[in-house]
Amino acid sequence: MDPVLKEKVKNVFVEFFEIPEEELLDDKLLFDDLGLDSLDIVDLIVGLQKQFKLDLRQHAGIQNIRTFGDVCEVVEQILEEEARK
Amino acid sequence: MRRVVVSGYGVGSAYGFGAEALRQGLKSGRSAVKRLDGFSAYQGLHSHVGASIDADLELKSIPRIYRRSMGRVAQFAALAALEAREMSGLDDDVIKSPSTACIMGSTMGSAGALNEAFQSIVKDNNLAEISGMQFFKCVSHTVVMNTAQFLGINGCILCPAAACASSLQAIGLGMQLIRSGTIDVAFCGGAEELSALVTGTFDSLMAASCSYNDRPELASRPFDAKRDGLVCGEGAGVLVLESLDSALKRKAKIYCELTGYNTCGNASHISQSDSTSVSRCIHAALADAGVNTSEVDYISAHATATLQGDAAEARALADIFGENIPVSSMKGGLGHTLGASGALETIAVLMMMDEQLIYPTMNLDTVADDCKGLDHVSELREQSIDIFVKNCFAFGGINAVVVGRRYTA
Repeated sequence: MDPVLKEKVKNVFVEFFEIPEEELLDDKLLFDDLGLDSLDIVDLIVGLQKQFKLDLRQHAGIQNIRTFGDVCEVVEQILEEEARK
Repeated sequence: MRRVVVSGYGVGSAYGFGAEALRQGLKSGRSAVKRLDGFSAYQGLHSHVGASIDADLELKSIPRIYRRSMGRVAQFAALAALEAREMSGLDDDVIKSPSTACIMGSTMGSAGALNEAFQSIVKDNNLAEISGMQFFKCVSHTVVMNTAQFLGINGCILCPAAACASSLQAIGLGMQLIRSGTIDVAFCGGAEELSALVTGTFDSLMAASCSYNDRPELASRPFDAKRDGLVCGEGAGVLVLESLDSALKRKAKIYCELTGYNTCGNASHISQSDSTSVSRCIHAALADAGVNTSEVDYISAHATATLQGDAAEARALADIFGENIPVSSMKGGLGHTLGASGALETIAVLMMMDEQLIYPTMNLDTVADDCKGLDHVSELREQSIDIFVKNCFAFGGINAVVVGRRYTA
C-alpha cells in the first residue's frame, strides 16, 4: 500500500480519536483494539471524506471494515475507482 | 417538606477554573473583562470586549468518549460538575442512584459548534464534513446531557432553557424536587460560552457595552452612572443540592441551606425587566422561605449594566428593602455569564458567607440617579451574611429568585 496514503489515514485516526500512531497496525480491530464505537465510525467516515474529498458513505466496502488495515484498503480501492472514472 | 442544603460546588469563570480562582478574582477588585481582538473582524459588531476563559482547560480529565460530544460550553459544565462532585464527597452509588438528578441549562448549545456547522452547511453547502458529534454539541440540552453522561447520572435529567435565568431556575427546580421527596440529590447549574454570535445578539439590541473597547476592564459597570450595556462572559457553575437528611447521614459538609424560590413572568415586554413582576418574584421567594425583608443580610443582584435593566431592578429592590441592605452585582468582574450566572453568582455568595465578606460591584464609581436608594457595596466589606437573596432575570420577562441561609441545625 502507498505509504503516503496510509499516513493520511493514520492522521485521521490520530486527529479524531487521539490514538497514538504506533498503535495503528493493520490487524488492529477498530472496536476491540482501538476503542472505537458505532458513533466513532460516523466520524471516521467524515474524517476520511474530509481528508480525501470522497463520498464514502455510499460505498459498499465501508460496511465491511473491521480493522485499521480494512480501512486503508477500502480507501485505496475507492481512490483507484475514482481515478478510473 | 424536606429541607435542602448545598453540599458542594464547582466553577469556571474568566478568573480561571476552580472555586479558589473565583474567590481570589472577585476579592481582587480586578475585572476579568478584556478586549477581544477577534470580534473586530465582524461587520456590524460594535462591542469588542468580553470575559473569556483564556486558561487551558483540563480536558484530559474528561475521557475522549465523553469529550467527543462536548462543545466548549459542555466542557465548562463538565469540569465544574467534576469539581462539585469531588467537593461534595458523594460516592458512586449515590451518583448512579435513580434519586440523583442533573438539572442544568444554558442560553443555547455550543456557539462555536453552531458556527462550525453554519460555515460548512451555509457557506460551503457541504454536509459531508459535518461530524456525527455536531448535533450533540449544538442541541439546547447539550450541557445537561453531556454532564449527566460524564458523571454517570441515571436519575431525572432536566434542562431549564431560560437564557440568563437558566441556572437559577435549575437550582429552584432541584430544590422543589428534593423538598417534595421526588429526588434526594441534584447537580444543578448552568454554563455559557462566549462568542460573537452571543455578544452580537445583545449588540444588535443596543444592550452591549461599546464605549470601553479600549479600556475593557472598565466596561462592565452595573448600577454606575456611566454604564453603557452588558459585557458577555463565559463559564459554568454547578451546585450539589441534597436533602438535609441525606447530607447529615453521610456527614457531608454543608455550605448553606436553600429555603425559598420563585420564578414568574411578566407579560409586558419581550426584552425588558419590569419592576412590578421583579417585586412579585422576590416577595414570593421570601414568603416561600418564611423570611421578612428586614431579615435579609445581602442581595446578589442580577444587574448586568444595561440602562433599563439595572434601573428596573434597583427600583424594585429599593421599594422592597429600602437602603439598609447591602447589594452588589458580580458582573463587573465576571461579565454577564448568562445561563451560568445564577449558579456562578450563588456560589460567590457561599464564598462571601464563608469569609464574612461582601464582594463589591466592580466599576461602580458613581451610582446612577436611576439606581439610587440602595446600600450599594462598591468596596470589599467585612460583614457577616446569614440570609441572602439571589436574583436572575431573562429575556421573555422571566424572573427567578432564590433565598438561602447559613445552615444551622
